[in-house]
Amino acid sequence: MTVNQSPAWNALTEHAKDIGQSPISKLFTSDPDRFKKLSYSAANCMLDFSKQRITQTTIEGLINLAEQQNLQQKIEALFKGDIVNPSENRPALHTALRQPEKESLIVNGTDISAEIHHSLVQMESLVDQIHNGQWRGYDGSPIKHVVNIGVGGSDLGPLMTCRALSQFAPTNIRHIDLHFVSSMDGSQLAQLLDRIDPPSTLFIVSSKSFSTIDTLANSNTAREWLINASGMSIELISQHHFIGITASPKKAAEWGIPEKNQLHFWDWTGGRYSMWSVIGMAIALKVGNSNFREFLAGANTMDSHFREAPLAENLPVLLAMIGIWNINFQDIHAHAILPYDGRLAHLPAYLEQLEMESNGKNVTLNGHSVDYATCPILWGEVGPNAQHAFYQLLHQGTESVMCDFIAPALRYQDQGEELQQQHQLALANCLAQSRLLALGDSMLDNAENSPIHKRYTGNQPSTTIMLDQLSPLSFGALIALYEHKVYVQSAIWEINPFDQWGVELGKQVATSLLNDFENTNNTNNDSSTDGLIRFVLQQRQTARNKEDATQDHVSQTGKESNQ
Amino acid sequence: MKIKVYGADLTAWVAAACLARSGNDVTIEGQNIPKDKPLYDISILRDEPGLLEQIQLQVKEGRLKRNSKTSDTADIYWLALEHGEYDQAQKLIVQLGEQTTENLLIINQCNFGVGASDQLQALLNEDANQAIVYIPNNLQEGQALQGFSQPKRIIIGSDNNWAITATRALIKPYLQNIEHLQIMSCREAEFTKFAITGMLAIRLGYINELANLADKLDVDIDTIRDGMGADPRVGSHYLSPGCGFGGQNFNQYIARFSEIFENKGHNSLLKTVITENEIQKELLFRKLWQHYQCDLTDKAVAIWGASFKPGTASIDNAPSLKIIDALLAQGVHVKVHDPEALNNLRQHYAQETRISFCDSAYSAAADCHALLLVTEWPEYWSPDYMRLLDQMHTPLIIDGRNVFDKEALEMYGFIYIGVGR
Repeated sequence: MTVNQSPAWNALTEHAKDIGQSPISKLFTSDPDRFKKLSYSAANCMLDFSKQRITQTTIEGLINLAEQQNLQQKIEALFKGDIVNPSENRPALHTALRQPEKESLIVNGTDISAEIHHSLVQMESLVDQIHNGQWRGYDGSPIKHVVNIGVGGSDLGPLMTCRALSQFAPTNIRHIDLHFVSSMDGSQLAQLLDRIDPPSTLFIVSSKSFSTIDTLANSNTAREWLINASGMSIELISQHHFIGITASPKKAAEWGIPEKNQLHFWDWTGGRYSMWSVIGMAIALKVGNSNFREFLAGANTMDSHFREAPLAENLPVLLAMIGIWNINFQDIHAHAILPYDGRLAHLPAYLEQLEMESNGKNVTLNGHSVDYATCPILWGEVGPNAQHAFYQLLHQGTESVMCDFIAPALRYQDQGEELQQQHQLALANCLAQSRLLALGDSMLDNAENSPIHKRYTGNQPSTTIMLDQLSPLSFGALIALYEHKVYVQSAIWEINPFDQWGVELGKQVATSLLNDFENTNNTNNDSSTDGLIRFVLQQRQTARNKEDATQDHVSQTGKESNQ
Repeated sequence: MKIKVYGADLTAWVAAACLARSGNDVTIEGQNIPKDKPLYDISILRDEPGLLEQIQLQVKEGRLKRNSKTSDTADIYWLALEHGEYDQAQKLIVQLGEQTTENLLIINQCNFGVGASDQLQALLNEDANQAIVYIPNNLQEGQALQGFSQPKRIIIGSDNNWAITATRALIKPYLQNIEHLQIMSCREAEFTKFAITGMLAIRLGYINELANLADKLDVDIDTIRDGMGADPRVGSHYLSPGCGFGGQNFNQYIARFSEIFENKGHNSLLKTVITENEIQKELLFRKLWQHYQCDLTDKAVAIWGASFKPGTASIDNAPSLKIIDALLAQGVHVKVHDPEALNNLRQHYAQETRISFCDSAYSAAADCHALLLVTEWPEYWSPDYMRLLDQMHTPLIIDGRNVFDKEALEMYGFIYIGVGR
């Protein structure tokens, strides 16, 4: 029996028909205590579900579904290190990465807690060395620029967190400029290399497999740049300008990174769950080692809550189950992430990977195709800016969209009143938008007299996530909240959230296409692919002809003047 | 005259010593100096040549007292507080203004910024001849006593005729060698002091930059410098390249002046000079690092000279500190010699086990892979080269002050690396 034929699922289908009669505006008028009943707090986060198309009966039904899917046992399995990623035959132990040092965790006879903390201490010592100006480049200069080369999980998490928490950097480490480079086409790197100084630049190459072509292409270019600038050997440059962060020490060594410049994590750390490991070195460089530890501690608070709180009061569980409700019982397949705080600018991109790479799956753990929806399309933008872009569609389009509004209650506490006013303005906009989306123009007097193109039907559900304030602690908890939400949804859908086979084949096809760019007459592929390759080759030929013509002209005029 | 000197740093002690030596009845009020602390335990006094002896003598003669009762009055008050003690200065001036009914003369030598003396003056009743006079502090560490008692130039900052006359009388004993005495407003005098210090720093920064370029273009900076100095528009003062300038007083004035520029919205040339000077302090480390191809594992390195300049035991902002820190971070065994500053250095590196503090320059150099000359004490200028060659593990000399003759050293068999040659 698949989950969508189960009793708990069927009960929810029936319940959805009842709820269908009541738009969100009506749910509010029928229960003045709605906010009180449907908002929950834990681990520095407050979640308000009252603007969802739900009642307490819905929550009861959803918790029944979770219980039916043995969620509590599955949560335990995650924490204990059971094989929760069967297609790659490994556990997913990102929670262990933020566990306090004193708690040991034995997996396959090894205390991985000790290994984790050993690795963190190693990272901290490198970070200190760089902060103290005692990591030296080839001419003896201290490092001023650190470039994180990585893609996906080795980029998005650290990039997001550095942006979110940069204000917490102690002043004595702010002399280090941190840069992120990910795109395989080299456009970010090329721009950056023009602006920075070779002897004071250190590259962190972050790659779990140390075979990611995007990352290695950028790293090779970076190394050539240093060799050309210094005139030094590849060995010396690799030794003094590269740190490798990887789960494949051998591959990193083959590329040229000496053992002492390597930081290790493990195959049981998924790429998109890896910023809590030494992959977070960029974060520690940006905000300091102690803030990085705070960030881990914040996530750990959410972990404990997730593991221990009853399902009906469990924030990640509720967030996930209400998502399931929207996707599978309200037929909503678009999810907007809308932070009302510019520091969270990279959160949408991060969650795109976390959710869509984890749960964008159509096969169950038992190898059957699913016949129900899984992960929706997720996108987002800093809320106030998105108001000037896609909110039109949210309010008056034809798509049902669920939204997460995210904001800190307090900001700029120790700064000017003007800035506090700006934050209040942002909060007012946040609340106005979620209110209007939920209630439509029904909350206004005489709305029905407006012309139809000015009407708002509302009934778009949203969750508001409020942090007391944005700090390493609360931000760690926020990210862990989403990680666990993804896990809960995968447990309901019976899919594996920890593999990503859907990104493999494209890489292989790309490798095989490389050769076709050498041959004008190739007919190896479909006519579209061959046609596009031919177009590129023709452009190349035209450019070459032009160049030759110019050179001929130059040499001709040269000859003439000699005569 | 009965004079009270307020302050705890070198400027205050030097003023107290010299004023007492000229027969004044001087009390020094320093909030940080416990009265029962023996004079020889005050490191500022030990670090400046002749100062401790002079202070001890004046105390013995009864002309210099420490920390009197604050209610005692004096004829003249001398302010030599540190640059962060402006609030204390304000309080003090208000108190002096209230307790004095007759004429009140306060000499200000503090580095409080341009306009500070005027602000302090505003706390007093100028009509009742309560006046602040600003005399720029021309202190040069290492020659501080002589600088105070036989200056060649003095600037008196004041608009008050009575105060100017009283100040002239006070400094009369120190005017034997005077070449230039100028009277201007307080604000102008403060600005002039900053301007002179800034100019000197810029000259040093410039010659260091030239030296670094000379290194890359294979010319000898000494030749260039001689050529520059011969031009009377340039002159040869403050044109010795080296591994950065240090000291407390000089650096504080430059930093403060750079702040003033920044507060007025200018990207200061001085700020660049300060930043570049910090980089220059590590120059000898970089030269060593490059010589050994980025690998200093298991090396031993000798440092000759740790004080920020010869003639003082002070290590405030000294290049030696940055070099030693860099060497220690690479796991190098550091062996230091300095004729005066070893005690200060020992305190600074109290926890550090990989430094040897050596009694003689030769024992420092013994078995080393390099000798770094950081401070040009005269005793280093002409060492026994054969003895050095014999004792060093590798005869590499990195000369941070260009005191050695490059050709001669290479002839003896040393590997010689200077600054800009």
